Amino acid sequence: MGVVKRGVKNAFRNTIRSFSIIFILALSIAMSLVMLLAYNAVGSKIESVKGSIGNTINVSPAGVRGFEGGGELLTASDVTTIAGLSHVSGTVQTLSDRLRNGDTTSLESSVEPGSFGRRMQGSANSSGQENPAPENSDGGTSSTTQRTFSMPIEAIASSNLDTLASLNISELKITSGEKFEVASTKNEALVGSSLATKNSLSVGSTFTAYSTEIKVVGIFDAGNTFANSSLIVPLFALQKLSAQTDQINSIIVTADSIENVASVVTAIKEKLGDKADVVSQQDSSSSAVAPLENIKTISLYSLIGSLIAGAIIIFLTMMMIVRERRREIGVLKAIGSSNIRIVSQFITESLVLTLTGGVAGIILGVLCSNPVLQMLMTTSESTTRGQGFAGGAGRGMMSVMMPGMQNILNNVSAVVGYEIILYGLGAAIIIAIIGSAIPAFFISKVRPAEVMRNE
Amino acid sequence: MLKLENVVKEFQSGGGRVTAVNDLTISIPAGVFCAVIGKSGSGKSTLLSLIGALDKPTSGIIEVGDENITKLSDSKLIKYRRDKIGFIFQNYNLVPNLSALENVMLPMEFAHIKGKERKARAVELLAQVGMTDDKLGRKPGKLSGGEQQRVAIARALANNPKIILADEPTGNLDTSTGKLIVELLKDLSKKHNTTIIAVTHDLGIARTADMAFHLRDGKLVSIRE
Repeated sequence: MGVVKRGVKNAFRNTIRSFSIIFILALSIAMSLVMLLAYNAVGSKIESVKGSIGNTINVSPAGVRGFEGGGELLTASDVTTIAGLSHVSGTVQTLSDRLRNGDTTSLESSVEPGSFGRRMQGSANSSGQENPAPENSDGGTSSTTQRTFSMPIEAIASSNLDTLASLNISELKITSGEKFEVASTKNEALVGSSLATKNSLSVGSTFTAYSTEIKVVGIFDAGNTFANSSLIVPLFALQKLSAQTDQINSIIVTADSIENVASVVTAIKEKLGDKADVVSQQDSSSSAVAPLENIKTISLYSLIGSLIAGAIIIFLTMMMIVRERRREIGVLKAIGSSNIRIVSQFITESLVLTLTGGVAGIILGVLCSNPVLQMLMTTSESTTRGQGFAGGAGRGMMSVMMPGMQNILNNVSAVVGYEIILYGLGAAIIIAIIGSAIPAFFISKVRPAEVMRNE
Repeated sequence: MLKLENVVKEFQSGGGRVTAVNDLTISIPAGVFCAVIGKSGSGKSTLLSLIGALDKPTSGIIEVGDENITKLSDSKLIKYRRDKIGFIFQNYNLVPNLSALENVMLPMEFAHIKGKERKARAVELLAQVGMTDDKLGRKPGKLSGGEQQRVAIARALANNPKIILADEPTGNLDTSTGKLIVELLKDLSKKHNTTIIAVTHDLGIARTADMAFHLRDGKLVSIRE
């Protein structure tokens, strides 16, 4: 029987103890594997988040926000300037306008004014706008003087219909018809589902806007009341119809990485000067990524801690075994065994225990990785629910530039590949070698003469 | 073939220095059954440790054949113990989770003898010490004291040693079994031309030995040849 066979046999000399140690080692290795998977999964998610959310910059005309403020709109040449900057991976230009029933369009809005709408209309300018009904002495409004009015309808155009943020929406389902080509010059439109219902529109119908007949090529559902009462129009067509040729009121700039957002913001400000307001999402995305960074740190420390725990377990086990079998070690030396042979036997015993624990730990780790990861995410998600972005009345551009941020933490999952299994086995081997190194030293110091003296 | 010249062995023990073997000079020819007798603490076990190269003398020379073992390096001492010495202990000291056969094969594995040859020789040796085939696969826990000592004797003979060192080989055995073991040792000594040096308290064994050394306080008191 060779050293290896003897080592394997000796590993199970005390069956109960051996299986107890294997069980504890399995837990340690499973924990380290789960933490490694979590570390990798969260790391990938962080990179994904950094690459997709928070690396966008909104450039709007100085003094303009939505349909408020004043100033001069941006132009196509501004887009070209920005697109040529370093670390800019893409630009999307948008233009939006308001249509009013009876004025610029035949359409009636599907949104009821309500008290807010009336209040907003009450503060509009005097050219053709209704004033709110005067209050009676008892605080009510006079029913004989109350005027009804239709809410304005937003018409929006974008150079990229797949960038939903540019359309101020978080989803775009085409319920009938189809999207138009982005470069289309035709007078056509996608109509929100509520607006279409209100105005009895279907695919192929027409309506009037800007004194021009516009054809409905599709009906969409954007999942919210305001968007479903709006129009999406080709950019060129809207520019032409609204007499804003070559003009745009928003550019969404995408930096190639969140690390370069600040430099891109600086470059845009240098190029456009006072002409534009430049706002980045970096701060918001950093706070969205912060819980993920915390999880990554926790999983790294837990990974290291569980490996150290495994090494300590096997170290204490081997020390106990060497102490118990001190006499046997002395006898083996007395009958002609070298230190190397005896140490090899004990390292084999250590390897058998840790590899057996490693295999069990890998299986356990693979089974538990996703549940543990989801538990970590759930714990962190509760700390991000309180953060959010401004909602409330109106739809500012910023609030729709990070759709689905609250779902970031829900979409992390562990991926188990062969390299993870190799890592598990490698970790077991390293634990065995480290854990048996000091006991091996003590083995070499056992003096066989003591065996004789203690007889 | 075994010569000790002015061998001294001192230990640091407690607060002072202990001289376990004190200027010992003896000569033992090959193939004899030799007894070393004396009270506890007389230096008997230390003498065996020195001859078996488990320990090094503080001074003096130990020659086995023509080889001065006190000058050997650690790696050569391992080879010396493996090839020229066989040990028999009072507590047998068999490896508990190896069978009788595997215990006897162990020293041959250390001597790099091939598997089939190891097994054949081990079976032969166990037969010589009176172990029946049905007991070869048993572990020490399933053997009587006398049977374990027989296996230990077979293990000690595994690599055809020049010297077998037996430390109280009958100490844990009943009288009749002890006598059987002593007779076996004497018989094997003749058959294999192996020098057997047995430490014992038993004067009866000492009387049947070819040579007997009486130690007291590490010194040689008398020799009977």
